[in-house]
Amino acid sequence: MTNHATALIADDEPLLRDALRRQLASVWPELDIVAEARNGREAVRLFDERHPDICFLDVHMPGLSGVDAATHIGRRAHLVFVTAYDHYAVQAFAQGALDYLLKPVEQARLAETVSRLKERLQSSRPAINTEQLLQQLSTQLAKLQSRGKVEPLRWIRAQAGKTVRLIAIDDVDYFRSDAKYTVVAWRDGGQPAEAIVRTPLKDLIDQLDADQFAQVHRSVVVNLRAIGHIKRHDNETAEIHLKGRADVLPVSRNYVHLFRQM
Amino acid sequence: MSEVATAARRAGSIAKTLRRVAVGLAISNGTGLFLVHGWNSPLWSLFFRTTILGLSATAAFALFEVWPRSLPRWVQRWALQVVAVGVLMPMTTFLIYVLSTPAGAPAFWKIPTRLDGFVHLTFLAILIAPWTALAAIVRQKEAIVRHQELAFALERSELERQALDARLHLLQAQVAPHFLFNTLANVQALVDAGSPHASRVLRSLIQYLRAAVPLLREPAATFERELQLVRPYLELMQMRIPDRLQYSMNADSSVLQVRCPPTTILTLVENAVRHGIDPSEEGGRIDVEITRAGDRCIVRVSDTGVGLDHPATGLGTGLTALRDRLHLIFGDAAHLRLSSNSPRGVIVEIDMPVHA
Repeated sequence: MTNHATALIADDEPLLRDALRRQLASVWPELDIVAEARNGREAVRLFDERHPDICFLDVHMPGLSGVDAATHIGRRAHLVFVTAYDHYAVQAFAQGALDYLLKPVEQARLAETVSRLKERLQSSRPAINTEQLLQQLSTQLAKLQSRGKVEPLRWIRAQAGKTVRLIAIDDVDYFRSDAKYTVVAWRDGGQPAEAIVRTPLKDLIDQLDADQFAQVHRSVVVNLRAIGHIKRHDNETAEIHLKGRADVLPVSRNYVHLFRQM
Repeated sequence: MSEVATAARRAGSIAKTLRRVAVGLAISNGTGLFLVHGWNSPLWSLFFRTTILGLSATAAFALFEVWPRSLPRWVQRWALQVVAVGVLMPMTTFLIYVLSTPAGAPAFWKIPTRLDGFVHLTFLAILIAPWTALAAIVRQKEAIVRHQELAFALERSELERQALDARLHLLQAQVAPHFLFNTLANVQALVDAGSPHASRVLRSLIQYLRAAVPLLREPAATFERELQLVRPYLELMQMRIPDRLQYSMNADSSVLQVRCPPTTILTLVENAVRHGIDPSEEGGRIDVEITRAGDRCIVRVSDTGVGLDHPATGLGTGLTALRDRLHLIFGDAAHLRLSSNSPRGVIVEIDMPVHA
């Protein structure tokens, strides 16, 4: 083992990898950059091959993110996260006392980070235990990414013939459950069309906006805006006639109360 | 919550009933004033009669408003109410006169003054009551129309708010700090390295910002301007991830001057980068194509990124907002379609009318 510290740089943008390498060369000429990775998976693979002392990880990378890669590396190296403006991530890094750099990387800030790293390497203190922090961070980031998914469903992924279509929820006239899947009756550019989704109707219902869709039968959920008129039958059931669509939907006894006159 | 609503509804219907009874009494007793002159019996008996008539007309009006629950197609409810009120008037008057005849006295039609009173009362009641009912129905219908107008205005303001939201969203998307700082970091890297590309990249960034910033304030752009915005954006992205992004742009020369909502194409391209190319380790290509078919324009942005099945692909709120904006402007005349590209990726197509 040489006396020189070794490092890995991971960033999906080649120019930024070069930039960091150059900046490090001027601030810390003795540092030996032993590997450069283009994504998280490559970072993990190269780390396992070269075992560098320090890893500079871009947070935002395709496939495996910087945080994911860091989780894999754990305490085996000193970690420095690199990120462009990302308010929440920065907050999390600061709170967790993790090392991080902001892009574009400022020389002074990099110098500070470098002196901290040198200190840690010299005292041969093990890298700080980041496991729990990283776990928190990655759930936090995942939550951020899925922000908005708690909203009612806005697009439905459905099979129409041989192609997969994304159907805007407003274009759906009704859902009808079939033996194994759910039929989506919708408007393709105004024309009535049908497609298929694999999600069972009962799972779909929970994701739909209750103000827009109503279940009217065990196997039918209708878009209220698509209803033309409703015909009542004497036996406490009814049928729904849709706007611009010949289909007639049954309303079973349990749901007739939805359409009582005001 | 629902208990409160029920209580409120009950209070509302009580107020409505009281109002109706008051109007019924006012009109019936007001009408009674016309008969005071020739009335030979005590006056209280006259107003007692008109009060009974007013109340029974109000009751009939209210009864046939809700009963029977469903009517044959050829019977209009308002007609039923008016006829019911009209028919009830002579019947009630007749009943009043029969019941007010003391035991053993001759029938009222055998006494000329009483018969006279009966005829006058019946005549006025038949004259006034159905018209009052009709007026009440007209008023009610007008109130419903007003209510609908109000609801419509509310909906319109809601749409305007949505349009504003969409614009704000765009503003955030375009000057996304993440994009800006990442790009600037690249520019700095090139400058530091003394690269000859630095000036070209800076030019792209300036072009992009110049096109993006004023565009936000304009209600409509042309496809030419859209492409002026999209080209530097794609150039910048390709400079940043050259190994993962290829692109092409093709537009019929006849569509360049066609007007479209601002940032239409940029939203599609950004979406393709963010949800298709960026999450993919191998990257892919983005093809932008604008064609014209008669009086319609078709914008097609296809990518070979991770596609619809990728778990990380949260579909952009940008697309949803764009769809809402198109709907606001073109109604049902414009369509946004999303489908899967083969072997991978997504195709987004906008089919919209050419605005003269």
